[in-house]
Amino acid sequence: MESTRNKLIRLLADAKENYISGQQLSDQLHISRTAIWKHMKELEKDGYVIEAKPKTGYRIKQFSENVSANTLKWGLNTSWMGKEIIHKPIVTSTQHVAHQAARENTPHGTVVIADEQSNGRGRMDRVWHSEKGKGIWMSIILRPELPPYIAPQLTLMTATAIAEVLDQHDTLKPKIKWPNDILIQNKKVAGILTEMQAEQDRIQYVVVGIGLNVNQENTEIPDSIHYKATSLKMETEKEWPIVELVQQILEALEKEYNAFLENGFPSVKTKWENYGFRIGEKISLHSGNKQKNAIFTGIAEDGALLIEPTKGKTEKIYSAEIDWFVE
Amino acid sequence: MLKVEEIREIIKLIDESSIDEFSYETNGTTVKMKKNKETGAPTVSAPAPTVSAPVSAKSEEVVTTTEIPAQPEQEVSKNEEESKAYDYEIVSPMVGTFYIAPTPESDPFVKNGSKVEPSTVVCIVEAMKLFNEIEAEVKGEIVEILVNNGELVEYGQPLFRVTTK
Repeated sequence: MESTRNKLIRLLADAKENYISGQQLSDQLHISRTAIWKHMKELEKDGYVIEAKPKTGYRIKQFSENVSANTLKWGLNTSWMGKEIIHKPIVTSTQHVAHQAARENTPHGTVVIADEQSNGRGRMDRVWHSEKGKGIWMSIILRPELPPYIAPQLTLMTATAIAEVLDQHDTLKPKIKWPNDILIQNKKVAGILTEMQAEQDRIQYVVVGIGLNVNQENTEIPDSIHYKATSLKMETEKEWPIVELVQQILEALEKEYNAFLENGFPSVKTKWENYGFRIGEKISLHSGNKQKNAIFTGIAEDGALLIEPTKGKTEKIYSAEIDWFVE
Repeated sequence: MLKVEEIREIIKLIDESSIDEFSYETNGTTVKMKKNKETGAPTVSAPAPTVSAPVSAKSEEVVTTTEIPAQPEQEVSKNEEESKAYDYEIVSPMVGTFYIAPTPESDPFVKNGSKVEPSTVVCIVEAMKLFNEIEAEVKGEIVEILVNNGELVEYGQPLFRVTTK
């Protein structure tokens, strides 16, 4: 059920620059004009700028840029993704909160999002800098009815969806570093951490964590010892609206996920390879205490890294530390 | 129709399980598998020194509770301490890297002798940056860790041995 508030926002958003009369809104939403006025006050509290012109009606002068469960839900065009949103000003890490929520049976598609993480983390608990309001720090709970060995493909799917959203902006030219880091100009702008609770043959839940650097300035974003970092603002020299970007990512994810369930990995694979970083180049792989150089030729039907250690020989890699630049 | 890899996988899984017989039917195709008893899953009792029967021997020739060690005769003397009694193996649900601790600095999830509950996380297997927390799924005690930290593991590969008694 779409809430009255949500319908109201949609009506106002659809009207764009035009005013809609209180009477018209009252008729369409089946609530009194006083109730409409109360809703408008609530919207203003959530950061919307509403213009009310006597005898003419209402219009939205400015959409809210405050991140809240409400502002994220309003105007979110999805059928299951983000129907449940847990927003917190500050958390240790959204992964941590999402794991707790998942254990308490929150539904498929629940989104945990925070303005700030005091202990944001990536692979092997590496610190992810996540300052207040500067980026998107969120975790999504998925409950796919898939065997666990298929689940790693979800990380590539997530990366593809984010790359597609960023690619709508001509100048960004995002790349995906296998399996799931998003790069712009060889620098990391987004990281994805996927964690799963599964039994032998059944997934209980998957938590997909996304950290996307959005509005950091050059000085606000320290390079990690593992990679150079960047933000969308640093690459485009403009502020990005966080709410809108989150909505675009959730919409893209829902679409990719549905397509993945329906058609399997092939559709993800093709898109992924379009964004693939250093395909056809020489890379170096470490696993345990073994190390080898090989040409990175693409990804397999299940998302594994394909390498050619020697001409005519192909190997599949599921897990390794990779050095992407080899002389 | 099952693919060759799938059949291979099933053989492996059955090999490691306590199932003696398996049959699977789909679209008119039937796959049947049956184990020689002595090559079947290991049993609870501590392995007695083996009768030096070849692996291909018929079951009548061997006491059924005897485990055939992977290594032949010369290993027998060490056998007692090497493979402890166990009745359950925690296997990897996917290909990936095995991690015994959540971070390189932290304590391992479990050690030999650790008591586990079904929901105790015993390790992480990572593939394509998906980190899978593996739960014990049984109540018992870890008696052997079969894989080293950071090692690659296969689908279905045993990771831990557990006594559930």
